[in-house]
Amino acid sequence: MPYNIAMVSDFFFPQPGGVESHIYQLSSKLIDRGHRVVIITHAYGSPYPNRTGIRYLTNRLKVYHIPHWVVYRSTTFPTVFSSFPILRQIFIREQIQIVHGHASLSNLCHEGLLHARTMGLHTVFTDHSLFGFSDAGSIMANKLLKFSLSDVGHVVCVSHTCKENTTLRASLNPLAVSVIPNAVVPSSFQPLQPHEAKASHLPGDKSGLLPPPPDPSQPIGPGDPLTCIVISRLFYNKGTDLLISALPIMLRRHENLRFIIAGSGPKAIDLEQMLDSLPQQLLYTASGQSRVVLLGSIRHEEVRDVMVRGHLLLSTSLTEAFGTVLVEAASCGLMVVATRVGGVPEVLPNNMTVFVFPEVEDVVRGVTEAIRQLTSKTVHRGKFHDFVKNMYSWSDIARRTERVYDLITGAPSASDNEGYYDEEWVNYGQPAQPHSFALMDRLKRYFGCGIWAGKLFVIVVVVDYLIYCFLELMYPRDKIDICKAWPAMPTQDFAGAEEHEANGGVDVYDGVEIKHRRRLVDYSGVIET
Amino acid sequence: MSHFESTTTTEASRTSSLQSGRQSYLRPEDAFYAPPPLRKRSIAPNTAAPVAQTNGSFPDARKWREKRRGSSDSRRRRNGKEGSGPKVPWKKLLWVKQSYPDNYTDEETFLDHLQRNPRLRPYEFWPLVADSTIIVQHVCSVVIFVCCFTAIFQERVSPQTVVGWATLGTVAGWVLRDYWQTREESEVAAKLAAKEAGDSPVSAATDGDKTSARSSSDMADFGMPFKEQHIPLASIPPSALQSPPHSRIPSVNSMDTPLSANSETNLPSFPAIPTTSPNPDLPPCNGEPSALSARTRERLITAKSAILIYCSLLGLSPILKSLTQSTSIDSIWALSSWLMILNVFTFDYGAGPESKFPASLSTNAAVMASTVLASRLPSTTHVFSLSLFSIEVFGLFPMFRRHLRHNSWAGHLWLTTLLVLLASGGLNMTISGGGYVSGIVGAVFGSIICCLGMGLTSWWLIGLQRYKNEIHGPWDPARPVLRGVWD
Repeated sequence: MPYNIAMVSDFFFPQPGGVESHIYQLSSKLIDRGHRVVIITHAYGSPYPNRTGIRYLTNRLKVYHIPHWVVYRSTTFPTVFSSFPILRQIFIREQIQIVHGHASLSNLCHEGLLHARTMGLHTVFTDHSLFGFSDAGSIMANKLLKFSLSDVGHVVCVSHTCKENTTLRASLNPLAVSVIPNAVVPSSFQPLQPHEAKASHLPGDKSGLLPPPPDPSQPIGPGDPLTCIVISRLFYNKGTDLLISALPIMLRRHENLRFIIAGSGPKAIDLEQMLDSLPQQLLYTASGQSRVVLLGSIRHEEVRDVMVRGHLLLSTSLTEAFGTVLVEAASCGLMVVATRVGGVPEVLPNNMTVFVFPEVEDVVRGVTEAIRQLTSKTVHRGKFHDFVKNMYSWSDIARRTERVYDLITGAPSASDNEGYYDEEWVNYGQPAQPHSFALMDRLKRYFGCGIWAGKLFVIVVVVDYLIYCFLELMYPRDKIDICKAWPAMPTQDFAGAEEHEANGGVDVYDGVEIKHRRRLVDYSGVIET
Repeated sequence: MSHFESTTTTEASRTSSLQSGRQSYLRPEDAFYAPPPLRKRSIAPNTAAPVAQTNGSFPDARKWREKRRGSSDSRRRRNGKEGSGPKVPWKKLLWVKQSYPDNYTDEETFLDHLQRNPRLRPYEFWPLVADSTIIVQHVCSVVIFVCCFTAIFQERVSPQTVVGWATLGTVAGWVLRDYWQTREESEVAAKLAAKEAGDSPVSAATDGDKTSARSSSDMADFGMPFKEQHIPLASIPPSALQSPPHSRIPSVNSMDTPLSANSETNLPSFPAIPTTSPNPDLPPCNGEPSALSARTRERLITAKSAILIYCSLLGLSPILKSLTQSTSIDSIWALSSWLMILNVFTFDYGAGPESKFPASLSTNAAVMASTVLASRLPSTTHVFSLSLFSIEVFGLFPMFRRHLRHNSWAGHLWLTTLLVLLASGGLNMTISGGGYVSGIVGAVFGSIICCLGMGLTSWWLIGLQRYKNEIHGPWDPARPVLRGVWD
């Protein structure tokens, strides 16, 4: 059955990033499946383009940018109650049934989940990251997560490792945690096409600095130049130290290997210092071209154009929940060398990947092994794209997310969502009795969170309930305008949607945002910005 | 999508995968063919037929889905007939399309990489008690300092006596430390010599030229009247250049290198050079001739800084005397108490003898406490004595204790006993205001209390161990190993 869903997160466009594009793609595909989806995030100002009020994106996706004070890395100030009035207005206006929060460091998401439970709505939470248990910051974040998730209907994690982590952090029932991975848009990450190979340079090319893109259909001879791509922010936890230590060894070992390093960060200086300290004959080819090209930070749209110039991708990250960049690289037809951390081993099959330990010598061994596989033609890079296309697709993710919604609402699943599992799994993980919205039951759940924290959480929930009663008195439900639905679109059947995706019609965010937001039906002024 | 080489049956795919020698892998095809081919656990033979329907190439997504639905229908029927569970094992992978729901929790593999307290080293009682002596020593030295101040303040002891004994002790400690250091260095040198002699028994008996070349360069370092030989730098291998400074024994460094070969052929031989080993204590001094050994120079430097501190304290004492005249006396007590507590809590108890200036906050707090205390004393001599005493107690004594513990465990225990006796005796004398009798009584009681306290706290800490719950797993950020074999 179609639902009205609100995606709540601090992280959304215009800020770029993995969570942001996950929310966008998932919402877009859910709309394709016939649901109504709105996204609630905070208002964006500089350094990003201004985003306030309501905006419409491609595919009838409505975004509420609610005014909020941003404190740190686009996370809003944790005021617990302050956004309740406006969230309640939006939830009632849009007739929301399910509130789906994203990212555990997003304050707005936790507020949204708390208020949604107070209002008696179903809640789902998606966790995108891994946390430890030892340092003070993690302990704090884990306690808050426990508070937020102790009353949530279902939790979605992006990998099995992430599921184990979240289950431990928030003391959840593992049956109430689903694993639904990220996906890639295959049309945005295609390998080099024959007509592109003929053209002298790609659009958005940074002059002649980069090596020419290889043709994936051509076999690689033993002496042919190889290009290794590194796309990562240059931070400690992305393993830049490992890269810095391994790079000179790899340059020395493999005469034909070149590197393109894209990304910026605090470790960029260390990387440049290391390159300066190397002898010149190591850094330049015989023809005088640089063997290590630093591109600095690149935009997400340019990632593919960089990736197709290489033969293999090296990821030295020290912690990774899912590793979207690995899937993107494999989709572009690159052999992947990745450190075996977090959820990385689950993401790609062994014949596309060389897994290494986070040790310098093992990284070098992994790259050597990948080069051996590439030159001995035991891998077929040309087929990677189609493999990945069948492994990960956003339509599939949306279908699986819809099953989570069916599970928590107890509704029968849609016709095309049936039959994926055996009968014995139909009610797997469904709570014995439906999640109770009664305040007393909710308080019992919160009380168990800890000796002191439990009592504090109970107070917070009670206050939230009182605010809700007050709001019901002050702004009665029946005085709030109900938002009109979009005029019915010709129903797209599922196969058609997938075809559409394959043709690459709708999936770029930046170019296609609808500009005429003000004259659409829906700006009747709940939100004054 | 016609270019997928699809196998038609599970059997075929299994055999093909076996042929390719990668049976432990899951191939990409597993992502979109309904049941992943079984490799580890066997399936019942009658399941092959319904599964076979589902495989094959699929022209588009819809057909594939219909086929899937068909397959699961058939499987459902089959399961209903057999009444058995699913045969396809669940895999902890994201890229395989599995016939399990997303919230399926595999009881075998869920949290199987979880480690609890992986690096837990359970404490044992006696080592813990032995380690607690370090804390006891420091607390005792603080107590002794406070007692000495009180005695000076109440004019029961003259400050000269206190600082005289302390200085005597300091000088004795320094001499002892110097002796240890010399002994250690000679031991290291002897060990090195023995090791290298063992490594190259032949080379010791080689011709005198090599030894002479090598030792002549050594001699040149010490200002002996020999000319430095001209060695072509390019011919020196890096190993020869990076020879450790300690290995000053002749004919050990560049045994089989081109350097020795060169010197053998090109260089004139130096006659009558004493081939005995030079003093291993002597480090290189950049070719400058020097009459003194490094050890002596170090001693001179220490003496110089001691005199410097002594003189500056003498000069500062009159200023320090009037530093807190306008402050009331109880603020001084409060301030110095807090600073002493800060000193005890921030002291670096784990530092070894190699650390030069551990826990600067702790030392600074103690010196500041003694400065404010000294400023309440009546005369410049008093102020000077107490300041000097505090530097000795808080600056030099911890260093000596570290060296003592490193070199002689028995000495460490004796020093602990002595400090406990002194501190408890002094404390009782200060509190009761009595004479030696009360001191002895205090020492007896104090040592009993101290032993009990050490035992009880150690026992308590061991008891607290069972609340330790450290969780590690694959989600933890990995620790990169940066320094490999190439370093």
